[in-house]
Amino acid sequence: MDEANQAGARPAGIEGSQLKGPFPVGEYAAALRTRLREMARIQVFGEVSNLGVRAKAVYFELRDQTGALPCSMWRTDYDRIGVELENGAQVVLAGGCDYYPGSATSSPSFTFRASGLRVAGEGELLAQIERLRRKLHAEGLFDPQKDLHRPALPRAIGVVTGERGKARDDVLAGLGRRGWAGRLVWAFAPVQDRRAAPLITRALQDLAAVGHVDAIVVARGGGSVMDLMAFSDETLCRTVAMLPVPVIASVGHHTDRTLIDDVASVSCSTPTHAAESAVRLHCGDARRAAAAAAGRLERGGRRAVVERARRLTALSRAPAEHVSSERMRMHQRVREMRAAGARREADEASVTRRRLLVLRRQSERLAAASSREDGVAGKQARELSRAAGSILTGRRRDLERLSLALAAHDPERTLERGYALVERRDGEPVTSAAAAREESVVSLRFADGRVGARIDQEEETS
Amino acid sequence: MTDEPRSYEQAAGRIEEIIKRLDSGEAGLRETLDLVREGRELVEWCAGELEAVGAGLEELRLDELVARLERGGAAPGGAEPGSGP
Repeated sequence: MDEANQAGARPAGIEGSQLKGPFPVGEYAAALRTRLREMARIQVFGEVSNLGVRAKAVYFELRDQTGALPCSMWRTDYDRIGVELENGAQVVLAGGCDYYPGSATSSPSFTFRASGLRVAGEGELLAQIERLRRKLHAEGLFDPQKDLHRPALPRAIGVVTGERGKARDDVLAGLGRRGWAGRLVWAFAPVQDRRAAPLITRALQDLAAVGHVDAIVVARGGGSVMDLMAFSDETLCRTVAMLPVPVIASVGHHTDRTLIDDVASVSCSTPTHAAESAVRLHCGDARRAAAAAAGRLERGGRRAVVERARRLTALSRAPAEHVSSERMRMHQRVREMRAAGARREADEASVTRRRLLVLRRQSERLAAASSREDGVAGKQARELSRAAGSILTGRRRDLERLSLALAAHDPERTLERGYALVERRDGEPVTSAAAAREESVVSLRFADGRVGARIDQEEETS
Repeated sequence: MTDEPRSYEQAAGRIEEIIKRLDSGEAGLRETLDLVREGRELVEWCAGELEAVGAGLEELRLDELVARLERGGAAPGGAEPGSGP
């Protein structure tokens, strides 16, 4: 077409075709819009889903069990009506078909342009989901998954998702961001149609039973309330609640809320986020932290031992150092004592010299006094000497007289004159005949010696 | 260490406690040696866990696992459920 436009000519049609044309598509799109706008304006009713409120318009789908219609309403009309639409609301719309033909850079779209709106009541689907939510909550089924331990670093992860959905790539991207490269068990299942809920339920049970996984991610991209209805299935939600493995749910966009979000361990807004929640640790960071911890442990242990060894070494040196310092201190004291002794000796010598000088002077004074008294003393001495000579002469004469008297009584002198002394053998004198008779043997002492004698008893009788 | 740690974060938390205690300088020599030994064992355990999730992504399909089990084969990755923390 570009070539045709550039050439300014309409290209040739398909050979053999009986249809009119070819027409420029923009021209045909504009004609289509005109035709659609000519269709009768009517009222339709259904349930609102996929609601999006933008600056200039409000977009949503109107849906019932048999079909759906993309709808829009200008914000001026929406604000004028003054209602707060929400997904699941049952509404009646007034309006007609419209078509945006698009352009070289924007996509065309069909819409039922509503100019009037009336809320007809709570949407049956959402009401049904809400009733089930209250029921499961009352049964306490929101809690069991929350109480499960969710490992920060699972070895194996199970993923339930559509085989061809974008969620699969998002999960891988999330795991890659964490640097996680463990065992990943894919459980592919339909995520939208009527078969979805039972197959997802079965996949979860199988993953928990034979997959040996530590966590399960259930991921699905955005969709309408109807599209996501499988994830509000009662059997599926009860299964999730009682599963012994933590389930991380990421179903639809962040504005969507299915029941699996309530019963799961964690609910995330995107599959990428779900994968990151399944692996809470960044493996690279964890490796660096482990290496750092190993280093700190080694240093801590070594430091404790080395410090103690140093302390012990210091303690072992302490006695020697103490002795050395004590020896130095004693030497110092000896030196001080010697110095003090020398000083004391010098002081004493000085004092002694002074005292000697004093004594010498006193002695000289005494000698002078003595010589003065010597005259008197000499006279007295001479008188005393004469008196003593007289006494001695008298006493010498008395002694000679006594000596002579004593000699006269000496038995030895008697023996010299020829007498003999009778003595017992023990030397005692025998002075009577009776005493002599008591002795058998006696000794006769003469002046020139002794002779033994035997007592003869016969002479006594004659 | 008498018991295996229940999880990686539990092991990492215990390692932090050990390092904090060692850094405080209040542990005696015997306690220090025991703590260092326990810490080394925990670090080795953590390194093993990290190695298990760092060797390379192993992608399996559940339907193949189930089919293999139904045929009587063993599931890859060993048959020790909960071998991780």
